[in-house]
Amino acid sequence: MQASSRRWWWYGVYLAVMLAFGVAVHAAGKRVDYSWRWERIPQYLISDDGTEMKAPFDGFVSIAADQKSLTLKELKGGRTQVLSGFDDLLVGDGDLVFQNDPLARKRGWVAGPLTIGLWMTLKISAIALLFSMLFGLIAGLGRVAKNPAVYGLATSYVELIRGTPLLVQIFIFYFFVGTVLKLSAFTAGVAALAVFTGAYVAEIIRAGIEAIPRGQMEAARSLGMSVPQAMRHVVLPQAFRKTLPPLAGQFINLIKDSSLVSVMALTDLTKAGREVVASTFSPFEVWFTVAAMYLLLTGTLSILVRRLEKKLAHD
Amino acid sequence: MTDTQADVLIDVRGVCKTFANGVVALQDVSLQVRRGEVVCIVGPSGSGKSTLLRTLNALETISSGDVVVLGQSVHAARVDLDRLRARVGMVFQSFNLFPHKTALENLMLAPLVVSRTPAAEVRTRCEALLAKVGLADKHDAHPAQLSGGQQQRVAIARALAMQPDIMLFDEPTSALDPEKVNEVLDVMKLLAGEGMTMCVVTHEMGFARAVADRVVFMEAGEIVHQAAPASFFDAPDNERLRGFLGQILK
Repeated sequence: MQASSRRWWWYGVYLAVMLAFGVAVHAAGKRVDYSWRWERIPQYLISDDGTEMKAPFDGFVSIAADQKSLTLKELKGGRTQVLSGFDDLLVGDGDLVFQNDPLARKRGWVAGPLTIGLWMTLKISAIALLFSMLFGLIAGLGRVAKNPAVYGLATSYVELIRGTPLLVQIFIFYFFVGTVLKLSAFTAGVAALAVFTGAYVAEIIRAGIEAIPRGQMEAARSLGMSVPQAMRHVVLPQAFRKTLPPLAGQFINLIKDSSLVSVMALTDLTKAGREVVASTFSPFEVWFTVAAMYLLLTGTLSILVRRLEKKLAHD
Repeated sequence: MTDTQADVLIDVRGVCKTFANGVVALQDVSLQVRRGEVVCIVGPSGSGKSTLLRTLNALETISSGDVVVLGQSVHAARVDLDRLRARVGMVFQSFNLFPHKTALENLMLAPLVVSRTPAAEVRTRCEALLAKVGLADKHDAHPAQLSGGQQQRVAIARALAMQPDIMLFDEPTSALDPEKVNEVLDVMKLLAGEGMTMCVVTHEMGFARAVADRVVFMEAGEIVHQAAPASFFDAPDNERLRGFLGQILK
């Protein structure tokens, strides 16, 4: 009884501190000369603007009698294009339009720029995560290898990557590697993140392998298993469980680090935030919103990993 | 027991081993083990017993000499070690069971991965082996759920699952609580009775006397004396051996 009431007391303290912090932030926001316009934010998450249908080429418009479809006849050339399934017409019968002019609009909910940015961040992070696991596993095995060439290569990779800033690596990937190999900004961004995170994953995996008692490898080898067989069936499954928490931390870092690819021509969540700030002049609200969206991604990953840990602990 | 060369399963010839730090572990050790023979290796700790045993399946390298097991030179450059090791079972002091697998999975892993035997056949054989070591009811237990004695019996069964020609035991009862020692020794006696060729590094003098065909005494990296158990224990004609036996049989 005593212990539990003391516990409640400390929950109360926690809530009080959090509340005080919130009030302080709110008061600080009031003190500066800034007009908060939270109501502007939702439209950048999701809007009912609908989608516009654009003219594929220059031409004259003719609208059907029932207003349900229109025909675009090319100005110079014989092509015609029939559009239908729209809700609002944006042109009149007989109008001359040019390529990419809006012709009609289809109503409905569409994702706003921040949501599209979130999706881009998620896509970049997910693909980079898969490749960083692959690079990390290979380099991690190289770091425990006896072969001097394999060990040397793996060590150089890890030291080179860990010793230089990610932002600099991103520039190198974008301007040098991307140019030489003719990579798109997306590929270059994913590659930079995967190579960077892979170096850290390699060290985590090396530590995990070295934490498995030597007797495990000896037992597997004495049964006639080759080194790769012993690694795959005996050492790595145990190392994986041990390294799950630090790996999860590294992947959360990956999601956050992905904000740096916004320096390339990639509209991820951070870049989308910058663009929205430019059009709303509401930097406070936008950056708080962007932070909350990152937290949504990292928090979800955290929860998923904790579930996986529990499941593995039960098996 | 015939004396033909074909019956010598283990032939250690003048093996020396010096560790990287300069410590001499083995000095000109020679030992032969014939088919069906049970050889116990005894001696004070640090005398090189375990090192000698571990050179037999190349878990330990040698500095000079030769180790021929099942007709193959173990430390030659071009030997298929995986294949050779599959025929030489090894039981460790610290069990070294795979903690992420159940008892039955511990037994089945190597036959499935190494020998590529059909799963159903492996399962039948491994279930029979678990029953043989008295653990028919522990198929699905993980090592952490088993006592030390049970773990070591699983480890013996795991080595047997590869159907080896030779079994090596590296102080198999040294990590056990005293009351669990006999359940492991009983399994080893059973194996010896079936004619398994065994090399046992042990401190269990009672086991050595009862089961061994020959007892080997090592001290300071050398084989000092070897004899049949009766003369080894009752009429030791070696000064250093008498000193050792005097120490432990007090």
